Amino acid sequence: MDTVLDAAVKTFIQVTEIWVPEGDRLVLATGNYGELSAFEEATRAMSFGKGEGLPGKAWAEERPVVLKGFDGSYFKRIEAAAEAGLTSAVAIPVFNDAKLKAVLVVLCGDDENRTGAIEVWHEADGFLMLDDGYYGAARHFEWVSQHTHFPRGQGLPGGVWSANTPMLFRDLGSGYRFIRADSAGKAGLTTGLGLPIPVPQDKTFVLTLLSARGTPIARRFEIWDSRPVKVGREVAAVRTDGICEREGPLWTDDNEEPPRRVHINQGNIGKVLATGLPLIVTGKPGLTEGYDTLVALPIYDAGEIAHIVAWYV
Amino acid sequence: MSWIDIGHIDDVPLRGARLVKTEVGCVAIFRTDEAEVFAASNTCPHRQGPLSEGIVHGQKVTCPLHNWVFDLNTGEAQGADEGRITTYPVRLEDGRILLDGEAVSTRSAA
Amino acid sequence: MQKLVVIGAGMASGRLLEQLIDADPGAFEITLFNAEPRGNYNRIMLSPVLSGEKSFEEIVTHDDDWYATNKVTCRFGEKVLSVDTARKVVVGEKGEVAYDKLVFGTGSSAFIIPCPGHDLPGVVAFRDLEDTTAMTEAAAKPGARAVVIGGGLLGLEAAAALRLRGMEVTVLHIASHLMERQLDPAAGYLLKKDLERRGITVLLEASTKEIVGNGKAEQVNLADGTELPCDIVCMAVGIRPAVKLAQNSGIACGRAIKVDAQMRTETPDVYAVGECVEFEGNLFGLVAPLYDQAKVLAKTLLGQEETFAMRELSTKLKVTGCDLFSAGDFADGPGREDIVYRDPARGIYKRLVIEEDKLVGAVMYGDTADGNWFFGLIKDGTDISEMRETLIFGPSYQGGASVDPLSAVAALPPEAEICGCNGVCKGDIVAAIEAGATDLGAIKATTKASASCGTCTGLVEQVLSVTLGDEFVLPTAQPVCGCTDLPHEDVRRLIKAQELKSQEAVWQELGWKSRNGCHVCRPAINFYLLADWPLDYTDDPQSRFVNERNHANIQKDGTYSVMPRMWGGMTSPQELIAIAQAAEKYGATVKVTGGQRIDLLGVKKEDLPAIWYDLNEAGMVSGHAYTKGLRTVKTCVGSDWCRFGTQDSTGLGIKLEKKLWGSWTPHKVKLAVSGCPRNCAEATCKDVGIICVDSGYQVSVAGAAGMDVKETERLVDVRTEEEAIEWTTAFIQLYREHAKYLDRPYKWVAKVGLDWVKEVLADDAERQALVERFDISQSVYQKDPWAERAEPEAARRFQPLADLTLKAAE
Repeated sequence: MDTVLDAAVKTFIQVTEIWVPEGDRLVLATGNYGELSAFEEATRAMSFGKGEGLPGKAWAEERPVVLKGFDGSYFKRIEAAAEAGLTSAVAIPVFNDAKLKAVLVVLCGDDENRTGAIEVWHEADGFLMLDDGYYGAARHFEWVSQHTHFPRGQGLPGGVWSANTPMLFRDLGSGYRFIRADSAGKAGLTTGLGLPIPVPQDKTFVLTLLSARGTPIARRFEIWDSRPVKVGREVAAVRTDGICEREGPLWTDDNEEPPRRVHINQGNIGKVLATGLPLIVTGKPGLTEGYDTLVALPIYDAGEIAHIVAWYV
Repeated sequence: MSWIDIGHIDDVPLRGARLVKTEVGCVAIFRTDEAEVFAASNTCPHRQGPLSEGIVHGQKVTCPLHNWVFDLNTGEAQGADEGRITTYPVRLEDGRILLDGEAVSTRSAA
Repeated sequence: MQKLVVIGAGMASGRLLEQLIDADPGAFEITLFNAEPRGNYNRIMLSPVLSGEKSFEEIVTHDDDWYATNKVTCRFGEKVLSVDTARKVVVGEKGEVAYDKLVFGTGSSAFIIPCPGHDLPGVVAFRDLEDTTAMTEAAAKPGARAVVIGGGLLGLEAAAALRLRGMEVTVLHIASHLMERQLDPAAGYLLKKDLERRGITVLLEASTKEIVGNGKAEQVNLADGTELPCDIVCMAVGIRPAVKLAQNSGIACGRAIKVDAQMRTETPDVYAVGECVEFEGNLFGLVAPLYDQAKVLAKTLLGQEETFAMRELSTKLKVTGCDLFSAGDFADGPGREDIVYRDPARGIYKRLVIEEDKLVGAVMYGDTADGNWFFGLIKDGTDISEMRETLIFGPSYQGGASVDPLSAVAALPPEAEICGCNGVCKGDIVAAIEAGATDLGAIKATTKASASCGTCTGLVEQVLSVTLGDEFVLPTAQPVCGCTDLPHEDVRRLIKAQELKSQEAVWQELGWKSRNGCHVCRPAINFYLLADWPLDYTDDPQSRFVNERNHANIQKDGTYSVMPRMWGGMTSPQELIAIAQAAEKYGATVKVTGGQRIDLLGVKKEDLPAIWYDLNEAGMVSGHAYTKGLRTVKTCVGSDWCRFGTQDSTGLGIKLEKKLWGSWTPHKVKLAVSGCPRNCAEATCKDVGIICVDSGYQVSVAGAAGMDVKETERLVDVRTEEEAIEWTTAFIQLYREHAKYLDRPYKWVAKVGLDWVKEVLADDAERQALVERFDISQSVYQKDPWAERAEPEAARRFQPLADLTLKAAE
């Protein structure tokens, strides 16, 4: 596909940032602000204590947090956000057992033309219920989702929950029993990435990123498995699934060839394995498969990085 | 068995070998480690290369002529080569190397 | 062109076509029939298509373009009605096609349990895209229920997929545990638990009595009276080869189409491949042997020899989050032993079955990291007796874990210099990569890193790998030997960079896989260490080949040859008398060599110290005719005697030999000095050759006159003898510091380029530094080895340790 064509498309997420604990505060590690330099300026000066602002809230409450509409909220950068046209945010904590490694924050602007979904699901009474989500212009789909719940093993959230692994769904608009599928199809949603969000308490959270063709959350998704039970004792990861607008499928039939494998320290995924932290790389097409930005997020299990999900815009 | 004192361990260079002349022919004494020795026929079954002149590594020796490698525990040629060298009982006692005299004698119990 | 007709566009016949077209695109005019209205797709990936985790487009292996490009005539959606083997035609619904060769790739169809109601609408198999679509549509109805009959691989993949699609799913399995052909009961138990955690109901020992419904499947009734209301029934109890067409065509069939090891049926020019064949009584359902068959059949059709053989198979279940691996045979039996590992907290179960010191079966659940390694041991029939105790913990317990090859490079700061020649640091290379230079060529072009001597090529590639990850495939450099994965270049570099000054340090820090190396790496490492650290490292005779250890050339009968040095090819009556006497005394044969010296052949090892002593007494030293080091400097008589001579070539030869003798080099080094361009000393095929001319000296290098013959190339023209010696010495030191062990100078120069060598040596300071380093090395190594070994204590080592023949005689 033509690179120039790609660049013209509006993306669903406008700002992505990584906050890491330093002493008792969260400080900015990296961020991708696109052209919102004023907002970036305002952010660089900030840090958050536990419970403070959106990142601090995700840390204190030990859960992913969706915040829609900043006015009058605990959000700390209301003015800068308003000027930048940002209206909603999702904070995703990365815990290794009880230890907070980082908080990934994504910010989106309200725009009647932007479609997609970032959802947080939590378990209650044996079902996954929608905690909250940001849907942009996909209002009907939002309403449907609020009235949907998933038993174990069903749909993207239920699948992630019961398999305890990230999953990548294709063709969201077709063939699921949920009314959601129909609505998803109408909203133009295509690819869905679901991932478990482990937290210190014995609670279940699942995050889903549902990407639409016109305003994609990402154009390339990858799932890497780094569990010793999969890769052995070497610190490494294998790519178990992935799809790319330019390269097509990123998985292999392992009767034919083994999956792609990286060592610790090898490339961006190797860097996540080495540092244990989420990663944003931007403006370096040589490193990001020709895309503008990469976001890679480690998912811990039993004290180790079990999976890494990566998305490229 | 009748153990014969044939010399001190330090008479054999580390990862090297020395020869002992016996009634059954030349026997090589290999020193594979500070205190680890093996005894085996000096003669490679391939082209009669003198194994005591080979490079000693691990518990193996490589023939100097054509690089056949023998495991000194079993005497078996390694890898694709097929052949075997006779090995002889040998042991260390207070730094002295003791070789089984019966095994290297033509008047052995056989 | 021969006409090839293939019936069935499945995975086996698809692979066959690929192989045929790859090998010889013009060999056949191909017609491909397929009853399905489409070409070949990766059928075993239908499960993730059913679940929504893959799209159908992703699993298409041959699209319309492929068939068009390769000129395959496709008759898709058309059934073959009959085959007339007498007339050699295939009769399709739309007409006949003649063939020279015919391939049956008709595959298999699902086995349908013939219970009442099995033919109701809503009872589907799970074989093709139509089945998949039917199930997907059934799942679209809210609250829909599915009954999957069959708890084997396919049935369970279907069940998990339908559950993801949102259905209420019940699996019926006739045996007492799931996948009983691939799993033992313990693994079957864990799998059942795993499926139940996904909300799937699993009924074991469930016998289907009938399927009932009003015009479509609505309920499954079991023999025990259980009633299971449903919207769809998926039958996945097994396959049966599709052989009706072959039978009707008179092709010999047993349970399937009988083929030999070349995939020939009993009918001439008719072949079969895939799930429709029977070979030595075996049927095939997994993909690996089908691909083997396709390969064999391609060769057979092209008139080449190839034989199909049965091999061990392994199984994985394509259910995301279910880690299961099974291979080989794990039935209990006499003489069979088990090794079992369980970790209940993590849901891990591993069982190995051993018979006669060989691994014959492996079942793994929850931890499949070592599956392929175990599978390899099963396939190869490896003797596992020595690793039996730790076998279950996998390969990393056997050979020691490999060190992380990239950590050192990853840890380098951006300002670390990678390419010394062009002063390129890591940060420059990373910046180039970030800007889109994603291979070695692009890095060379944009940064000049590794564009000169090339020594840092490996390092640049590692920076590429660290920065780019899986998109950059590290070229597999030839390792030194089986003891390490590192190539010579990396070992040399790391010995310098990490200041490794002993063999133990090299083995430890570079992660050697053996206790103390082998006959391949030991001499190389010994050389690298003594060349790089002459004052710190002590030469290890036990890491040298016999000739260098005994300072004489071993001959095929075990005796040695002895060759004294004759400086510049000059000798004297006294030396000749001493040589003659020694030859007589030790019974040696005398030979004049091409290097202007005299060789004494046939000397016994125990006599070596004595003959050396005698020759030393006459003032002669070792000629090093056995070393990777300076051999001879051949000369002509030069201006002293010759009417054409322009300079004192003999004198220069002697000076060079006196300067260079005793030095160790990566391989042997031979020099010559000719007194005029007539070149009587044959200097232009030596490692270094000097030709004297009126204006001075032409120094040329990198010639060869062995297996390869190559003329030298001019390094420099100099005015004085001193300069000629300085350039020669510096060249040899550069070679000592950079070349791979056992590369002659001409090979090394070909790798690094003469331009680079010239550039380095042209720098006065660098040239003098090289000479200085050479001199330091010579302060240690320019010693006569004969004199040292003629000493009584050293000489004793050349005698047997003991002589038991004497003892026996007493």
